[in-house]
Amino acid sequence: MTAPGTPAPAADAAGTPDPSRRTVLRTAAVGAAGAVAVAAGPVGPAEAASGYFRHGVASGDPRPRRVILWTRVTPTRAATPGSGRGPRIQVRWQVATDRAFRRIVAQGTVRTGPARDHTVKLDARGLRPDTAYFYRFSYRGRTSPVGRTRTAPAHGALPKRVRFGVVSCANLEAGYFHAYRHLAKRGDLDAILHLGDYLYENGVGEYAMGQRNVVVRPHRPRHEMVTLRDYRQRHAQYKQDPDLRALHARHPFIVTWDDHELTNDTWAAGAENHNPGEGRFRARRAAAFRAYDEWMPVRMGPRTRVGDGYRLYRRLRYGRLLDIAMLDLRTYRSQQSRLTPTPIPNPDPILSRPDRTITGAAQMRWLKRVLRRSRAQWKIVGNPVMIAPILFPPLPNEITGPVTDLIGLLPADGLPYNADQWDGYTADRSELLRHLADHGITDTVFVTGDIHSAWVSDLPVDAGTYPLRSRSVATEMVCTSVTSNNLKDILGAPPRSASLVVEAAIQTLNRHVRYLDFDSHGYGVLDITPQRTQMDYFVTGARQQRRAGSRWSTSWQTLAGTQRVRAASGPVPTRRGDR
Amino acid sequence: MCTPYGGDGSAADPRSLAEVDLDRRHVLRLGAAGGAGIVLSTALDSPVLAAKGRKRAYVIVLDGMIPGEIDSGLMPRLKALRDAGTAFPNARSLPIMETIPNHVMMMTGVRPRRNGVPANAIYDRRAKIHRDLDRPSDLRFPTVIERLRKQGFSTGTVLSKEYLYGIFGTRANHRWEPFPIIPISGHAPDLFTMQALHSMVAQHDPNLVFVNLGDCDRWGHTDITGTTLRALRTAALIQLDLQIGQFVAMLKRTGRWRNSLIVFLADHSMDWSRPDRVITLAPRLARDPLLAGRVEVSQNGGADLLYWTGPRARQAEAVRRMRRIARSTPGVLSTHTPKRLRLGARAGDLVVYCKAGWRFSDPAPISNPIPGNHGHPATAPIPFFLSGGHPVVRKRRSPARARTIDVAPTVGEFFGLRPPRGGYDGTSRLR
Repeated sequence: MTAPGTPAPAADAAGTPDPSRRTVLRTAAVGAAGAVAVAAGPVGPAEAASGYFRHGVASGDPRPRRVILWTRVTPTRAATPGSGRGPRIQVRWQVATDRAFRRIVAQGTVRTGPARDHTVKLDARGLRPDTAYFYRFSYRGRTSPVGRTRTAPAHGALPKRVRFGVVSCANLEAGYFHAYRHLAKRGDLDAILHLGDYLYENGVGEYAMGQRNVVVRPHRPRHEMVTLRDYRQRHAQYKQDPDLRALHARHPFIVTWDDHELTNDTWAAGAENHNPGEGRFRARRAAAFRAYDEWMPVRMGPRTRVGDGYRLYRRLRYGRLLDIAMLDLRTYRSQQSRLTPTPIPNPDPILSRPDRTITGAAQMRWLKRVLRRSRAQWKIVGNPVMIAPILFPPLPNEITGPVTDLIGLLPADGLPYNADQWDGYTADRSELLRHLADHGITDTVFVTGDIHSAWVSDLPVDAGTYPLRSRSVATEMVCTSVTSNNLKDILGAPPRSASLVVEAAIQTLNRHVRYLDFDSHGYGVLDITPQRTQMDYFVTGARQQRRAGSRWSTSWQTLAGTQRVRAASGPVPTRRGDR
Repeated sequence: MCTPYGGDGSAADPRSLAEVDLDRRHVLRLGAAGGAGIVLSTALDSPVLAAKGRKRAYVIVLDGMIPGEIDSGLMPRLKALRDAGTAFPNARSLPIMETIPNHVMMMTGVRPRRNGVPANAIYDRRAKIHRDLDRPSDLRFPTVIERLRKQGFSTGTVLSKEYLYGIFGTRANHRWEPFPIIPISGHAPDLFTMQALHSMVAQHDPNLVFVNLGDCDRWGHTDITGTTLRALRTAALIQLDLQIGQFVAMLKRTGRWRNSLIVFLADHSMDWSRPDRVITLAPRLARDPLLAGRVEVSQNGGADLLYWTGPRARQAEAVRRMRRIARSTPGVLSTHTPKRLRLGARAGDLVVYCKAGWRFSDPAPISNPIPGNHGHPATAPIPFFLSGGHPVVRKRRSPARARTIDVAPTVGEFFGLRPPRGGYDGTSRLR
């Protein structure tokens, strides 16, 4: 099914030079001389009149009576992102119930300056639950583009439906953000769940589109981001992408990070893509966190103030219908096993060592408490990396567990192909899934990013005996990437060819995996009602083309009380008008 | 006069007068139907025998059912009823997740702290014995059954388990004594329970009937294929669905449906344990010098209630030791004070829950050979939905956390009954 009014997407032509790419490169070259590389899209009248607000507006982390509002001001020509230049200034903000700002319900001023890269972030309070608002900023008589946001329902409310856009893994060098553009057209979303890899750290050409590594749009700065200046500039570049800017202006974001917000395969004290020549890892991480805090509409500390803490894991509530637990699976995790490279099955016995962690002890305690105490029907876990076991083959834990304890030669659950996921930290996964079983916690759905492919799985306590003996205690729905390379891109194969063999092999061995698509890019729409949670998968077209369509691909749902997934007959109808 | 079930619920033949059992129940056993022996009893002192008005409410407990089983494809009739009614997919049983306390909470609308029934089995400190809470006097709070009676409504109980029949005593105008009872399980099969329900509706047509269907739970307990095939339980689910379908069909045929509210729910769900996952606390506690000979363990499937029987002055220290020993025992999930769980003094000094896939077996490892199990938090999720043709039943799904304790307020509101003194602990689910 093709979404109304959109052309059917064409396949990527990775590796084939094309006019659009050259156009982009020219645009970037112009941008290199001065302002902005990727502000090549259509510019609305408000934006044209708002030179102070070149990075758009955004909102995030909606609560019943407050929401984060964000923008970045460029008060002088010299005050470019990361420059550390420019005056300290005062910016006015307003929230209204109408787009014309006749009914203003909250307003105030906020200070910013070079110390925080002239970003503005505030918690607008005194709002009404489950209500749409418009917001804007003004500086020296010029106003920003108008953003739209929506508060969460009251904690005691019983919403009939909540709907999210779901995205992850948007690499600017690998293509245009069609997923963002198509989601921005929808008015029926409560928020966008961004599950990480919002931006990529790589230098130009290090990790671009397809097997031939085509740079659709070059990163700025051109080198790998390492310093605070680098991170700020890269955030600024992404914020100027017109599709992302449109999506931010249309819906509030609920975000978490994965690794590329810092660097590839990050763990608590290092990363695969960090070497001593790039300085101390902790200094680099502090810079990445600082820039993220400045540039993202997210609450990271006890208050909204930049630098007051970098705790990203947090809970958001949508009445009694659902709680969202957003996880941080990078900051506290043990180092990944590198015995074999992904995707070679990894026989490293340390994978199941109980002292290894992906969440860290404090976050695990918090997550278990949130899940146990939640009175909401659905428990949505914003999960940066896959939790479903993908093993070759899954082994019955009740048999291998004692053997592993004894001889310690193999991972207890089986051999994973990707030890960067929960598969590399099986003690934590087992603890969490057993916690769900022990406490009778139902209707938990992990919504996941990271892996550039779409997966739908049941989550058994013991995959080795599923479904005959072990039962499923939750489900997982993984959205694919916005642009980042997937299997067909890496293989250079046509869509739905070589990947089919791999998909069949994985599903044969891992019976809890019910759906797998290694080939597509796109986004999800997660629709939650008391009856079921459903993810509609939408596939977007050629990444290197500035415009490409979007079509519905498949839908999967978890019926309340079942802890299992099943195919749905079609996508949820798009509602008219704004929520 | 009672008339037995005649198949369509509208006609029946008179049956023999049963014996009068004044000493135990003060009831008049009025009728028997067919070879199955459907015997209904009507309280002699009941001021009202006939229904008042047109409203009918049926609370049907699908004992031990897991919420997802309704969507398993085995229960199309029940699923259709749920989908057409008001469903609460976030519903949960309350501690202790056992049969008697949750049936009592359904009918009282208050927690065990107020109704006096925290578990199936307790240690009776006064009598110094372990026993089931199956006596009418164990229930210390007015039920919606008797409160409706006082307001002139007629009520009935059709309870498949002997201990439920025991504790609810003569509170209803009309009741069925479960028969035939299956040895060991102590319950009457659903086939007979449903026949009794049909008979009761046909003969007395009470305003409220409280029904317990025990097969699903009992076959879940005893099914040795429980962790894999669950063969007996699966058969019970299919049979139960058929029986429910016939009951609804009867209500529709006889015109009762449009005036009826049916509350379908479970008292708890079910978990299955392996033979090697058994927790026996008694010998561990006995190895502690302070606790030896001074702790009683009342086993409730997935929950153990521990009672300190030593001097009061050493109670705090004893509870600390009990908690430490319990928490260090493999398979134990958590420990709680009865006060925190709002269970009241009868629940002893410490409640110990097991993990999913485990069970308690006290005082000896062979004391509890049953694989199917409940009482612990793993068995808290339950199905809960309102059905029926009365206009109060609307087609909707609510994420609200309905609980067993909500039944009495719901039924009470349906009949316009005022809350009891001190109010309900539960919430009406009509709104």
